[in-house]
Amino acid sequence: MTDALLRVEDLGVTIGGAPVVDGVSFAMRKGEVLALVGESGCGKSLTALALLRLLPPAARLAGGRVLLDGTDLAALPDRAMRRLRGQALSIIFQEPTASLDPLTTVGSQVMEAWRAHNAGGAAQARRAARDMLDAVGIPDAEKRLDQYPFELSGGMCQRIMIAIALICGPSLLVADEPTTALDVTIQAQILDLMRRLVAERGAGVLIITHDMGVVADIADRVAVMYAGRIVEVAPVTDLFAAPRHPYTAMLLASVPRLDVVPKAVLATIEGSVPAPEAFGSGCRFAGRCPLAVARCTAETPPLNEVAPGRLAACWRSAEASTLLSGAAA
Amino acid sequence: MSTDPVLAVDDVAVHFAARGGLLAPKGPPVRAVDGVTLAIAPGETLGLVGESGCGKSTLSNAVVGLVKPTRGSIKVAGQEVVGADPDALRAIRRNVQMIFQDPALSLNPRMTIGESVGEPLRVRGIASGAALRERVATLLTSVGLRPEHAARYPHQFSGGQRQRVVIARALGLEPALVVCDEPVSALDVSVRAQILNLLVDLQRRMGVAYLFVSHDLAVVRHICDRVAVMYLGRLVEVAPRDTLFGAPKHPYTLALMSAVPEPDPVRQRTRQRIVLQGDLPSPSRVPTGCAFHTRCPRATALCAQERPALTPRDDGALVACHHA
Repeated sequence: MTDALLRVEDLGVTIGGAPVVDGVSFAMRKGEVLALVGESGCGKSLTALALLRLLPPAARLAGGRVLLDGTDLAALPDRAMRRLRGQALSIIFQEPTASLDPLTTVGSQVMEAWRAHNAGGAAQARRAARDMLDAVGIPDAEKRLDQYPFELSGGMCQRIMIAIALICGPSLLVADEPTTALDVTIQAQILDLMRRLVAERGAGVLIITHDMGVVADIADRVAVMYAGRIVEVAPVTDLFAAPRHPYTAMLLASVPRLDVVPKAVLATIEGSVPAPEAFGSGCRFAGRCPLAVARCTAETPPLNEVAPGRLAACWRSAEASTLLSGAAA
Repeated sequence: MSTDPVLAVDDVAVHFAARGGLLAPKGPPVRAVDGVTLAIAPGETLGLVGESGCGKSTLSNAVVGLVKPTRGSIKVAGQEVVGADPDALRAIRRNVQMIFQDPALSLNPRMTIGESVGEPLRVRGIASGAALRERVATLLTSVGLRPEHAARYPHQFSGGQRQRVVIARALGLEPALVVCDEPVSALDVSVRAQILNLLVDLQRRMGVAYLFVSHDLAVVRHICDRVAVMYLGRLVEVAPRDTLFGAPKHPYTLALMSAVPEPDPVRQRTRQRIVLQGDLPSPSRVPTGCAFHTRCPRATALCAQERPALTPRDDGALVACHHA
């Protein structure tokens, strides 16, 4: 990818020595929506936090480069990184009410983000905040500025978070499960809003989610993570139509569908994700994979190009989509 | 159906008094549930769906006697729950058990799995000693765990395994009805499928009925025989599963279904969607007439004035709407 906005190379994060994020590499273009998908504990949120250098104290960055517009974020001094957060890249989290300060008006929280990166007086900051609230579809923006988070609904609070994240015009927005805490009708509003803002502002969005419906709705490309590693990367329609990694195929087969008459038994993935201390050699999905052969536990499959624009880390990648029907599960 | 229902809810309302401050005037009551009538037949699964704040959890808590209704009647296997004294409630709960969303919060971390699963049987004097251990082993096996797991503690299990333990505990008394409040919402997709399959399998073997409370329509479509859709404390549509999903009628049901993103990028990006405007009104200020009229694309003047009753349609659906 020559016109890369973000290029992550061989990123690693350890907790107590265990490789919870292991050799993660991917790239994103300007204006692209990339979904990072996986189940709890697969390392998707830690990957996102590592990009912003916001890892919790127990987690350590264990190497790799994070190139945003050519600058290696992993090597920046803390002060320089602080200047970039909010301005070049920002993040929104799952629980908007937990992300906002309950004792401060939403207006001053939006203004604080603007004033951290812009020289301007209070009146100018207020104008910028009001315009941003308008842009994220909050009615009565002028009045809302003076309200506290508890006076707003969860959906409105998430709009405020998006306003804070975008007010300085970042080129990359990281959204960690941005709609998981919201009801479906509100989720639809927020996804529409994110889609519109991306198109208008040309920012790239890295969306972290476990919901395949959300992925199908908003993503241009998808990276699937399992047990700390990326196992597949593909354009969204290709991924759903013909997955090239057994884990992706089985994950898709196990999702109950609203648009399909249900079968008696849902396909499942037997067993559970191995604990990071118990990662063995070879492919980490081998223990649950119906296609596994001796080579899978002996040798780690590299994330190779299996078709133009498609990457998969599997020795039997060509057969993976046979698991999509759930028949083998 | 000729058999008596395992659950009969008749015109149940649960209102919570709003707290007034020292100087603040007392607000109107929160009408969490406001006149719900429904029934569940033996061995049937009824899905109760709606968004946060619609009253579905309050209603399910009322069914097991954890919340006292303001009015109405709730009968479990013919016994009245509303106004039952503690002894009567204890007898009723043998027939109705509950499974909550987060299995980690449902299990005592200092009790072994065996103690937790065996407790309902022990406190009711149904089994003790070797017989109790044997019964616990059978229960653990029936939910896909192993008898030797009885000696372990909750933290030694994954979320999916813990939910299996909770299910084993709920089924120990062989209840006629299990209230499942978002039983798979805290679980990962691959584990969710395992637990849903287990619930279906146990129902076939034991004939238990489920009141399945969920916000996830796809899960409900998979597991339920009939579905009730709730909005602001009232039922807006009740129908057999295939009727509801094949021919939804209430504008809220349609909007809810249309808002669920389908895991199919081609379809998802081409289908016509109804995106509702605004937020759910507060249950302390339920709109007049049809509670949905403030967000409804089909609302007319009539909807603001007159509350539509649940009326039967040709295909067996019950719908509360003037225009559907």
